[in-house]
Amino acid sequence: MKRYLRRVVLATALLTPCAARADGTNGALDALKQQMQQLQQKIQELETAKTSAPPTSVTVPAGAVTPEQLKEVDEKVDKVVEAQKKTLMSEFNPSIGLVGETVFSYRSRNSSETSSNRPGGFDIWQRSVELNVAASVDPFAKGYVVANASADAATGESTFGIEEAALQTTSLPWNLELKAGRFFGEFGKLEYIHDHELPMVNRPLAIDQYIGGESRTDGLQLNWLVPVEHYVSWTVGVGDSFGGDSPPSDPGGFRSIDELNYWSRLSTYFDLTPDWQAEMGVSGLFNPRTNDRGGIDAQTGPGGLPMTEHERRLGGLDFQVRYVPLRDNQFRSLTWGTELLYSDNRYLVDPDGTPGDGDEFSRSVGSFGMYSYLTWKLHRQWSTGFLFDYVQNAENEHDITYACSPYVTWALSHWNQLRLQYTYTDHNAVSGLKSDDAVYLQWAWIIGAHSHGWQQR
Amino acid sequence: MKLFRLLLMAGMIASAAQAKVCVVTTLTDLADFTREVGDDLVEVRSLATGIEDTHGVPMKPSFVPVMNRADLIVLVGFDCEHAFLPALLEASKNPRIQKGNVGYVDCAKGITPLDVPKSTDHSEGDVHPYGNPHYTLDPVLAKTAVAEICDALVAFAPEHEAEFKRNRDAYLAKLDAKIAEWKTEAAPIKGAAFVSYHEHWPYFAKRFGLKYFGTVELKPGIDPTARHIEELVSSMKAEHVPIVVGEPQFPEKVPRLIAEQAGVTLVKLPIMPGGVPGTDTYIEMMDYIIKTMVAAVKK
Repeated sequence: MKRYLRRVVLATALLTPCAARADGTNGALDALKQQMQQLQQKIQELETAKTSAPPTSVTVPAGAVTPEQLKEVDEKVDKVVEAQKKTLMSEFNPSIGLVGETVFSYRSRNSSETSSNRPGGFDIWQRSVELNVAASVDPFAKGYVVANASADAATGESTFGIEEAALQTTSLPWNLELKAGRFFGEFGKLEYIHDHELPMVNRPLAIDQYIGGESRTDGLQLNWLVPVEHYVSWTVGVGDSFGGDSPPSDPGGFRSIDELNYWSRLSTYFDLTPDWQAEMGVSGLFNPRTNDRGGIDAQTGPGGLPMTEHERRLGGLDFQVRYVPLRDNQFRSLTWGTELLYSDNRYLVDPDGTPGDGDEFSRSVGSFGMYSYLTWKLHRQWSTGFLFDYVQNAENEHDITYACSPYVTWALSHWNQLRLQYTYTDHNAVSGLKSDDAVYLQWAWIIGAHSHGWQQR
Repeated sequence: MKLFRLLLMAGMIASAAQAKVCVVTTLTDLADFTREVGDDLVEVRSLATGIEDTHGVPMKPSFVPVMNRADLIVLVGFDCEHAFLPALLEASKNPRIQKGNVGYVDCAKGITPLDVPKSTDHSEGDVHPYGNPHYTLDPVLAKTAVAEICDALVAFAPEHEAEFKRNRDAYLAKLDAKIAEWKTEAAPIKGAAFVSYHEHWPYFAKRFGLKYFGTVELKPGIDPTARHIEELVSSMKAEHVPIVVGEPQFPEKVPRLIAEQAGVTLVKLPIMPGGVPGTDTYIEMMDYIIKTMVAAVKK
């Protein structure tokens, strides 16, 4: 303050001589002296006031934050910080879930008349108890295991096995994803769906016939999301085996590269309208040399001649049309799914059953199978549907089976579901089997974590 | 020469389009916030159109190429999108937007959740382990989401920091003005109780001083039983609950039945912009909700 006043006085003194000269009077100098004295007096007064006055409280300007408000904000921030610290007990553990599935059934014929692995009459079958464990391995991959225990059809004893145990990359460049281990290979549409997630009780006959149940493999699979505006996905894979009930070629021997299974699938999708969707795919499976695959070494072909499979070829075409209303899709939807499969396996026919004596010849069997189903969800808890099956035997295309299965599903919740299904199965005369009626009641439940991956959508 | 110029222009237009930050949001309220903050510097696509259930957006493969090219995925968080987002993220094969990376924008960061369950046991239904995720129906908490989106945009495109912050501040000021207006409008319904189909409204009720009485659903994701409906109707009568809120994502039959039996008003309220006609933006949606609730109580 003092310095400021001195500057003002000095500036005034420097500037005023011109004016003083202009006036030409001494009166101006007197006035200046007087002003200086007044200013000095003012400075003294201010200094006295500063030293003698008690400290004044800080006045808060209108609209500024009060201490109470600050405290409130602090409390809120603390709450947020605490919320961010909150962790669940399972936060650092893998997600774990368990699926149980019991099938109660009645079949009008015994297994020798139907070729089923389940007995005729009344049957209660704990089809699976499935333990699912999944977690990220690191920032680059995730891992998952599906272990399954089920009751043996003949003895009732539980058998425990690993259905899937695979590592899947999550950050490969160029839209690539690699999967390795034991997993369900991507072929068709329902082949890689677990039993309890199928829209019907049993896997369609054509898949059982040509794949051998679910598309399980010990192998390596590469998926590529084609970098275009439209959804196009391409998968290629190689594995020891392909099919849950289809063991690898040449077990225990020396396996050459042409004894492995190779598969591929190309799929795409269209939004027909915001509520209607269409998805389609084409799949192929090739095993150039399948000697001794799964013990298929002494089949009886047409004419009763013994034959051995030596090449496996399978092609598939699948499409699915779905009505999934945006507004209330949890309460109503419609799905129509169809898959066409063509098997063109090569067999070595040995008329006299003595290998290597020169009378063997190769025979190709082209057989066709398909299934088509329609499922209508009419309520959050209720859905109904119909499945049609048609399949020719992969070793003898004249051996034909077809089946019709209406079903109704009651989902008490997302984790507890009952399904009632009737199946009429008919075989033609070539098969030597008899038609039969069956009623199934499937009860499936889930505890713990359960999420649907992209494949199971 | 002419062709060369045309190609050059096309290239320039294409590169200009590419310069925009490509953002995918799960729901339409987040898309609206992102457009407000990003303006013409962002290209926004919402997976939901507004009429879906927030937990049940269909997993369309057509979303996959869009997410594959996204720079940011903006989500509600608190496991709101658990039924569809994890699988879509996996299918997108886009490392930028995977959880833990900068492109994964969880707007629940900074929100104190309500109704955090003590147990995640399924006997309590399809509970959200981190708490109720419907916080954007509280406009004050929605401001936190706006700020989060702005921070993510700034982190991704720091060269546009000034524009993003200017847009954010302008939108937050607009929201503040509207919040004051909504509070005034909602003053007459303070203390009024209501029932809704799903647990969408605890944050809204808390903000505007309403009493959230219960849900039509037995538990989250579990359909009501006859006994639950009966008990709900009798307790609504006893407590003089005047409103049943039917979210458009759920069938109207049961809420209507409850409203008729309890002799109260049934209103249809959107849970995100676009849920009912004339609610294309967040502000329009909140305007609609407040006006409809006030009108229902006055009836």
